[in-house]
Amino acid sequence: MLRRRMGYADPSSGKDILGNRSLCFIFICAFGLVTLLQQILYGKNYIKSAQQFNRLKGDETGNWTGPVNFSDDGSLKPARNGRKRCFRQNFQPDSQTVIVTPCLSDIKKKQKKRYLENYDGSYEYNSTACRELRQEIMDVKVLSMVKTSELFERWRNLQVCRWAQSKEETSNFKMSLSRCCNAPSFLFTTKRNTPAGTKLRYEVDTSGILPITAEVFKMFPDDMPYSKSQYKKCAVIGNGGIIKNSKCGKEIDSADFIFRCNIPPINEKYSADVGSRTDLVTINPSIISERFQKLEKWRRPFYEVLQNYENSSVVLPAFYNTRNTDVSFRVKYMLDDFDSQRGVFFFHPQYLLNVQRFWAVQGVRAKRVSSGLMLVTAAMEMCEEVHLYGFWAFPMNPAGIFITHHYYDNVKPRPGFHAMPHEIFNFIHMHTRGILNVHTGPCT
Amino acid sequence: MLRLFCAKTRGGNMLVRCYRGKLSVWAALCVLVLCWFYIFPVYRLPRDKDIVEEVLRQGEAWQKNQTGIDHYRKLLTECCEPRKMFAVTKENSPMGKVLWYDGEFYHSRTVNNETYPLFVQENPLQLPLKKCAVVGNGGILRNSKCGRDIDQADFVLRCNLPPLSKDYVEDVGTKTHMVTANPSIVEKRFQNLLWSRKAFVDSMKVYGSSYIYMPAFSMKPGTDPSLRAYYALADTSSNLTMLFANPEFLRSVGQFWKGRGVHAKRLSTGLFLVSLALGLCEEVTAYGFWPFSVGLDEQPVSHHYYDNILPYKWFHAMPEEFVQLWQLHKSGTLRMRVGCCPPQE
Repeated sequence: MLRRRMGYADPSSGKDILGNRSLCFIFICAFGLVTLLQQILYGKNYIKSAQQFNRLKGDETGNWTGPVNFSDDGSLKPARNGRKRCFRQNFQPDSQTVIVTPCLSDIKKKQKKRYLENYDGSYEYNSTACRELRQEIMDVKVLSMVKTSELFERWRNLQVCRWAQSKEETSNFKMSLSRCCNAPSFLFTTKRNTPAGTKLRYEVDTSGILPITAEVFKMFPDDMPYSKSQYKKCAVIGNGGIIKNSKCGKEIDSADFIFRCNIPPINEKYSADVGSRTDLVTINPSIISERFQKLEKWRRPFYEVLQNYENSSVVLPAFYNTRNTDVSFRVKYMLDDFDSQRGVFFFHPQYLLNVQRFWAVQGVRAKRVSSGLMLVTAAMEMCEEVHLYGFWAFPMNPAGIFITHHYYDNVKPRPGFHAMPHEIFNFIHMHTRGILNVHTGPCT
Repeated sequence: MLRLFCAKTRGGNMLVRCYRGKLSVWAALCVLVLCWFYIFPVYRLPRDKDIVEEVLRQGEAWQKNQTGIDHYRKLLTECCEPRKMFAVTKENSPMGKVLWYDGEFYHSRTVNNETYPLFVQENPLQLPLKKCAVVGNGGILRNSKCGRDIDQADFVLRCNLPPLSKDYVEDVGTKTHMVTANPSIVEKRFQNLLWSRKAFVDSMKVYGSSYIYMPAFSMKPGTDPSLRAYYALADTSSNLTMLFANPEFLRSVGQFWKGRGVHAKRLSTGLFLVSLALGLCEEVTAYGFWPFSVGLDEQPVSHHYYDNILPYKWFHAMPEEFVQLWQLHKSGTLRMRVGCCPPQE
């Protein structure tokens, strides 16, 4: 007992000078310190960026040049402001051979005023000014290369140019799509591409395999209802808050084929902005599970909701995972029970996988592509000209004003599931290349 | 004492343990024998043949006995209150009431704002009912020509969604005012109403605008199919009215008959309906109650008038129930039709 007490009292007997315990303590301290430092730095950064947006909102947009901001350590989008970029480009020898990109601040000084005077897209698409503006956007190779505010700025500047389709780019893009995905024959599961008796592999549940029994086979359409470039002008309507108060309803309704995502509300309250016609609408099975109790209870409420989309067909990702299948089949059964002639289609899992792979190469790396991107991809093959409305995945519109997440609510999605900003970024690029037309402003 | 002796003399721990082992074996045997007696009681009844003979002896003779009817109605009202309690209504099961399942050992469901709106406000039947016909599904109904007899009743009760197609109309009639539906039927015949519901809704059109009486709160797995049946009918704005059987009523009726010597895990739907009819109607006639494989004329009789699928053996005690009903028949409280109905002018 005595010995033990002695041992306890004697400092040298601990033998923990730089032993495990003290090392551990030092690590914890260091970690804490680093976190604290980061917090401080981040905090400053955050405040700064907020200030920038506040300025963007105001009238001083024209003569705003971003403050030098070097503290880009570890932030998601490394801030690199305009002056710095110009500076670097001027010293790059090959940049002059491609095209001389004027400094952002230069553009503003020289051209900004003029552009803003006639904002209605009066510049020809192929005019030199527009080419410069387009190059401005094409220079942003990756989304994280510039601050969003700067991308917005360039996007806003581009609005003065009238969009025109580039035949060459479009046909190239369509070619690569038809090589990878081939929507006109593989978009939906059909009797033709999914014969009875075969086994269908799920999209994510790699172990999940659905045998195509006669019962399942019966639900498939005989063949794909749409063919290649069948429609002249298509409109894909995203649910972004950007479409609110855009008064694009009439323009949308004039399209030949209209896609919508996730059964959005299109009643009188919104129809001025989003239009009232629909030809194809996707339904996420999770919506059915949450809002309609998987159709295990009441079914008429869901039927009534679908009645809003007059003759449109519905399409469901039934073979995404095993949980989706039953719910999706139930939609088909329910419509049959109510003697509805509405078409019900299921995305082919292989098609969706191919689409995902295609976009992953373009920089959209997410767990899953969004329904909007699926529809745009399909529309690119089905239509000659594709117009996007309501696609904008940033918390503020190009003018820097905050917008709601959806045009009908502000429910944020599960983080980390979709890579929406990257998708939009791709659309912006495609708009610039003349492949599709992204509408972000109000329609006239 | 034996154990004590054993432990003293031999002093071995092992042997005590051995005796204990033997004791438990004896106990198990006793329990087994008790179970045996419970399932096959010695006092169990006359054989089927004797019952048939007795029925033949009685013949067609039947005398209505008003005092018997009144007495029985009083008994039933005292024990079970069929007028108020037979269905789950908003009146007798307000929000927050706990419904104890009568077919489960210890299971309940609280009436919440999901189930409460599904109940009817109060007893929807216009009482008292005059002439009631309870139609069982026994094979004896086949070729009985009782259809017209049944249709003449003011209130016709049927069991377990029987088919009423053209082939059977002559024997079982067309009218229905209340039909019971077992949740297991919904599960087996209509895939639990999880897929297409059209087949179910269409097959219910035969029953016109009658009441569907479902024991939704008797068995745990039966609740969801029953509620789904309600949703299916409501979605298609059918003119059938769904009534959920009140588990309290079912339990008290079960106890009522247990006290009268019906030993079964659960009463058959037929007996529930007869008890209900005895409590609600002035005159009750029962058709198609015949749980034996041989008819009065020594000819084989199928189990149901539409098929010959035998039920799970030890669940219902149909012959015992029949004996009870036959005693009521003899005393003039209700009338059993076990043969052909007389042709009418």
